[in-house]
Amino acid sequence: MKKITIFFVIIATAFTSCTTTKPILKTVAYKGIYSEKPLSILVMPPINKTTAVDAKEYFHSTLNIPLANAGFYVIPPYLSMEILKKESAYDGELFINAPLTKFGEIFGADMVLFTIINKWDKTYGYVSVGVEYVIKSTKTNEILYSRKGTINYSTSVSNTGGGLVGALVSVAATAINTAATKYVDVARVCNGYTLSDLPLGKYAPVNPKESEEFAGKNEFNVTLNSKYGY
Amino acid sequence: MKKIIYFSISVFLLCSCTTPQLYSWGKYQTTSYNYLKNNDEKSTKELVKTYQNIIDKQTGTRRVVPPGVYADYGFLLLQINKSTEGKKMLAKEIELYPESKVFIDRILKKLEK
Repeated sequence: MKKITIFFVIIATAFTSCTTTKPILKTVAYKGIYSEKPLSILVMPPINKTTAVDAKEYFHSTLNIPLANAGFYVIPPYLSMEILKKESAYDGELFINAPLTKFGEIFGADMVLFTIINKWDKTYGYVSVGVEYVIKSTKTNEILYSRKGTINYSTSVSNTGGGLVGALVSVAATAINTAATKYVDVARVCNGYTLSDLPLGKYAPVNPKESEEFAGKNEFNVTLNSKYGY
Repeated sequence: MKKIIYFSISVFLLCSCTTPQLYSWGKYQTTSYNYLKNNDEKSTKELVKTYQNIIDKQTGTRRVVPPGVYADYGFLLLQINKSTEGKKMLAKEIELYPESKVFIDRILKKLEK
């Protein structure tokens, strides 16, 4: 009997260890940020791998708020955009795997944020966006923060009229709403979710519990609505 | 299924309590989007107004102008030929955020030329 119990326990442990990944503390997952204590961040133009042509600039324009609100100094977005364009460097692709020392010298940036838009699909009731966020150090070139995933942004309009007609109206409204959903709204939700894990910067009040917090999954697939934005 | 419910509840909780933010951004989201999209006189005027409003009526917990606002406002003023005011704003960015000196000084030097 005892043997069977032990055997069962072993099997059970084996099972759980395969299916659940152990949560990692933020201090471990983002150890570079805790040791380097970066202050300033340059937002690079997003790398757009989709056919949605406007996604790049609209995405770019939404990134400064969440980073500033997290306590970092964000290099002025319009001014840096202009300089990057003038220097023919308005391309994240060129730099994501290159040494970043120059960005420290020119912009005074401790970190550089790269974003990659992998997918942008509009289907009924949803916009499905594949995104990747990579923050690298300009001092060590190491990756300090990296999260990647799919965000399914719900655009459904709830049925307020009631009855069959109400239901039909809401179906039509949802279809229109999906078509008209702006990049910026979706971008905000993506940023809000993906960057929510970022350790706080110098200008944010110290969170005494941060060292005990677990990091979110670095790969995710979530469904969110507009309330998740900022 | 349980997971979904749990997740929805937590998302709902996250949204329903609005935590105070470090900075207030006024209508920045909308006016900045319109400026990028249309880049005309109307959208420029509105963005100018937004910057001025962020500077004058800052209700964030830090009670200071957010990073980049003085600088981007200054840059916008330079573009509409208000160069004295524009340069003043750029100088204010350095004053408030000394870490911006490396970059802003470079811009100011270019303007002197």
